[in-house]
Amino acid sequence: MKPVFEWVRVTQISSVAERTFVIAFKEPKSAAALEPGQFCMISPYPGSSNVYLPRPFSYFRVSANDTIEILFRTFGRATRWMASLTPGDRIGVFGPLGNAFNQHPGAERVILAGGGIGIPPIILLAESLSRLANPPRIDLIYGEASGSRVVDLAKVVPPRVCCQITTEDGKIGVKGLVTEELSRILDTCKTPPAVYTCGPRAMMAAVAGMLTPGKVALFETACEENMACGRGICQGCVIPVKGEEDATRYVCCCTEGPVFNGFEVKWD
Amino acid sequence: MGLNQTVRCMGLSFQNPVLVASGTFGYGDECYDIMPFSSLGGLVTKTITAARREGNPPPRIVETDAGMLNSIGLANVGLECFLAEKLPWIAQHAGLAKVIVNIAGFSVDEFVEVGAAVGSRPEVDALEINLGCPNVRAGYIHFGADPESVRRVISGVRKKVNLPVIAKLTPNVTDIASLAEVAIDAGADALSLINTLPGMKIDVAERRPVLGMGFGGLSGPAIRPVGVACVYKVCQHMQRMDAQVPIIGIGGISCGTDALEYILAGASLVQVGTASFVHPQAPGNIARELAEYCETEGIGNISDLVGLAHQH
Ligand SMILES: Cc1cc2nc3c(=O)[nH]c(=O)nc-3n(C[C@H](O)[C@H](O)[C@H](O)COP(=O)(O)OP(=O)(O)OC[C@H]3O[C@@H](n4cnc5c(N)ncnc54)[C@H](O)[C@@H]3O)c2cc1C
Ligand SMILES: Cc1cc2nc3c(=O)[nH]c(=O)nc-3n(C[C@H](O)[C@H](O)[C@H](O)COP(=O)(O)O)c2cc1C
Ligand code: FES
Repeated sequence: MKPVFEWVRVTQISSVAERTFVIAFKEPKSAAALEPGQFCMISPYPGSSNVYLPRPFSYFRVSANDTIEILFRTFGRATRWMASLTPGDRIGVFGPLGNAFNQHPGAERVILAGGGIGIPPIILLAESLSRLANPPRIDLIYGEASGSRVVDLAKVVPPRVCCQITTEDGKIGVKGLVTEELSRILDTCKTPPAVYTCGPRAMMAAVAGMLTPGKVALFETACEENMACGRGICQGCVIPVKGEEDATRYVCCCTEGPVFNGFEVKWD
Repeated sequence: MGLNQTVRCMGLSFQNPVLVASGTFGYGDECYDIMPFSSLGGLVTKTITAARREGNPPPRIVETDAGMLNSIGLANVGLECFLAEKLPWIAQHAGLAKVIVNIAGFSVDEFVEVGAAVGSRPEVDALEINLGCPNVRAGYIHFGADPESVRRVISGVRKKVNLPVIAKLTPNVTDIASLAEVAIDAGADALSLINTLPGMKIDVAERRPVLGMGFGGLSGPAIRPVGVACVYKVCQHMQRMDAQVPIIGIGGISCGTDALEYILAGASLVQVGTASFVHPQAPGNIARELAEYCETEGIGNISDLVGLAHQH
């Protein structure tokens, strides 16, 4: 669908972990059309904040009554402004934007690896894959640096998804990194699995380093870069990808992504 | 709107005074669904150079107080692809909006070559020359900062084309009025003021500049007072010179009132840039607000307001 810009009212906002919040609003047009991996740009109502540019956020959940949920963590001006919102406040929402994950993995097994605040699109994807007519076996790895940041996903992860949490401080789940758990699961795969990932750049680069084309059915990464327009106009959000003869090509994360073939991104 | 907002300028008729600024509206196609530029005064394309340009390494943009920094590095599809693929689409969808192609080069010859090629196309209504580009042969000084380069670029392009030539000046000079005078003497039919201001943001946690190239161009509301001052200054200078060259006001325009500041300072037309990123329909909303202002204030045509701030 063509993206729409709407002023909507926040219906709910709640703190779900350290510096981490879920914000909900109703936007029926996008709710009906959006796909996992796509994102929207959120902006303040004029005069309500000193945040100037809209910021990109992945869709986290969509409920039957057209409510869209965004899961976010505070880092700077915009996310702190969002955390200060209360139900009834107006925000600008522009979406759905960007491409989506391939929802036909063509593999018996799917591994989803979400690190930190990269988890929202992974959850929406898990839901959509588990609704396939012939759903694959889905392993989901969710990693955080510390237990205090772990979002309780019990209510949002479909029951048939096998979920493993890793934390670096070992307070929740397995102590260690997403990549360590991924390596363990990869060893149990008898046929090439499909791997999807979203998280800090270093994590995605490490995942890319572990995989070999041909040995996985599919490898998709949802990338992040600073954005202004969200629709290919400003050329501001480029990601380096492999061009001909290993030259670097810059492509817009907002239109050619945010989902990329993980083997095509230049991670170094 | 119902009102006659037509502005006559450079021998062209603009259906309203609001245009979209170079680099902030792509080639018109990415945003046509949500903000058809056919309802505006005109579209100024992304800067076109002779060869396709990949642009600068990321991060290329970052928010600042009341604005943003960009260092896109003139990434563009290149002259050949622009003429073959982008321009026909723009012309087909322009309706009454004027098509202004923004060009640049890294040498005087490149400006002239690109200008001549674009200027020979019937779909193009005017050329805007981006003088904020570094001159590779003259130690990377911006063309726009050196009077001799301004003269050579503008007169070089002027001789090759029959269309209006607009000189887009950079504000990063000691005296913008004297450079405006050079551009006019060299044959510029209009002046676009202003391009971005140089800026930098440092990530304190990382102790390094945020942008991949370090420096970027500042745009948005933060630069509006600078842009308005430049327009006012150049307009004043032209009155003294007795020159009658229209000015296009650019920089931090987000609403009708912002546009009126530029018009009162001496701009005949305005361009909306960064505001399109904040709200995709900003240019259309600004045009509507200007029309509403004229209606409430009983002003027959927006052109009646041009330069009125100088009477005080
Ligand atoms: C396609 C896409 C989808 C996204 N989806 C989500 C989402 O679902 N939930 C979410 O919380 N965020 C998401 N983000 C990131 C989000 O847009 C940024 O966190 C936000 O723009 C930060 O704005 P700010 O003003 O709060 O921080 P800024 O002032 O921009 O940043 C403050 C500091 O934090 C750092 N920083 C900012 N964001 C991150 C980050 N994500 N990870 C690590 N360091 C960071 C910056 O480098 C800077 O040093 C997404 C980004 C993209 C491109
Ligand atoms: C992302 C971005 C890209 C730009 N690219 C160009 C360009 O290619 N050529 C040009 O002449 N000006 C370019 N500009 C400058 C704008 O056309 C305009 O002069 C400037 O941004 C000030 O207007 P604003 O404050 O309304 O954005 C760019 C500005 C931005 C923000
Ligand atoms: S955010 Fe503007 S091109 Fe991607």
